Amino acid sequence: MLLESVAYARPDTVAEALQLLAENEDAAPLAGGQSLINVLKHRVASLELLVDISRLEELRGIAAAPDGGLEIGACVTYDELDHSPEVRSAQPMLADVAGHIEDQQIRDAGTIGGNCCLSDPTNNLPPLLVALGATMVIASSGGPREVAASDFFHGYFATAVGEGELLTSVRVPPLAAGASAGYSTVAVGADSKAIARAAALVRANGTIEEARVVLACVSPIPARHAGMEEALRGRAAEPAAVAAAAERIGADLEPLGDAHGSAEYRRAMARVVARRAVCQAIGNGGPQHG
Amino acid sequence: MVEAGNVQAIEFTVNGERREATVASRQLLVHFLRDSLGMKGTHIGCDTGSCGACSVIVDGRLVKSCMMLAPQADGCEIETIEGIAKDGELTAVQRAFHEEHGLQCGYCTPGLVMAATFLLRRNPQPSEDEIRRAVRGNICRCTGYVNIIRSIERAARNGAEEAA
Repeated sequence: MLLESVAYARPDTVAEALQLLAENEDAAPLAGGQSLINVLKHRVASLELLVDISRLEELRGIAAAPDGGLEIGACVTYDELDHSPEVRSAQPMLADVAGHIEDQQIRDAGTIGGNCCLSDPTNNLPPLLVALGATMVIASSGGPREVAASDFFHGYFATAVGEGELLTSVRVPPLAAGASAGYSTVAVGADSKAIARAAALVRANGTIEEARVVLACVSPIPARHAGMEEALRGRAAEPAAVAAAAERIGADLEPLGDAHGSAEYRRAMARVVARRAVCQAIGNGGPQHG
Repeated sequence: MVEAGNVQAIEFTVNGERREATVASRQLLVHFLRDSLGMKGTHIGCDTGSCGACSVIVDGRLVKSCMMLAPQADGCEIETIEGIAKDGELTAVQRAFHEEHGLQCGYCTPGLVMAATFLLRRNPQPSEDEIRRAVRGNICRCTGYVNIIRSIERAARNGAEEAA
């Protein structure tokens, strides 16, 4: 397929990339390209300039602090997350989820930054990063700023990254003592497009002390479910209590129905994936990929 | 910095040969390989990144060449189906696809051979589950995949024998 005419530039630094993005109104950063190239093929969007950031060394690193905190460059690929000893050790669920995104070819190109900046509600990483309490670092001409992952996603294909800005890294804090993550998806097929998804972070010591439950695919952005979180707090860390808490998910959700699942089906599956994700986090569920 | 332009001069290595070219910034790598370099072994199936027929290896990564622009290949080492057999001798993967009947119409085969080659370089003795996951991005409409999985299992055995 032939793309519409578009210019290509490959800056050597983030500063040069920001300048190119600021100077050209219809410029966009090109990272892994696994969504953007198709957008251009289908002529859904028309751009003057692609700023290739995929090789910027500043965006390609994974730094691990002694306390287990991670700073992951925006252009680190899913495959690199999957195979990083630092990520495997500090945040095994993040490595696992990244290793089950679509297929090898996509994992070799797609990036953590692209997955977040696209803000497609079916994308894998946003709900997990919200559950893990990640911070998104954004560069702009005025200097860097930090936005909590829970405030980063603004809607369908909209994020806190403004015109002329660039997501440069994702900071993931260390897991607290006794905390563990869970993740569950109902998808069209293995490792494919999600119909309902939940990510959880649970701190428990026989009893659930704190739980974050983030639902995705049932609203434009990944969102914590306060009702289920409240129902989990102080309860025994066992499947029956989790199932009871998941019943709090219900009429408050207004998902959209589509060819893959009606609104009612998505709502029902949100309860299922939320229960599975929390059970996995407390060590009472099998691996849940996708 | 590579300055903004609708046309870019690129340098790359394809199957071990150093090349230079001038490409349109909007040209997909798969079109560059097929139409500019005349290397028609890399196939275009869906042209939307779904089928994997255009899979090639770029700087050690398995990529769908319809999801990458030609100017992005600047400075890269590209491996295509044309380059994997050395001196006319089929590789362990190619022989196994022949022996296990891992193809029917053959359209998806170049992409599958590249995906299998990538897998076995990284993981010479994969489990069946690992093989299935490794070809998740490559669609075959003929075989039902069973013979493809067998081919890659056999390629792993062939490779182990060759290495022994």
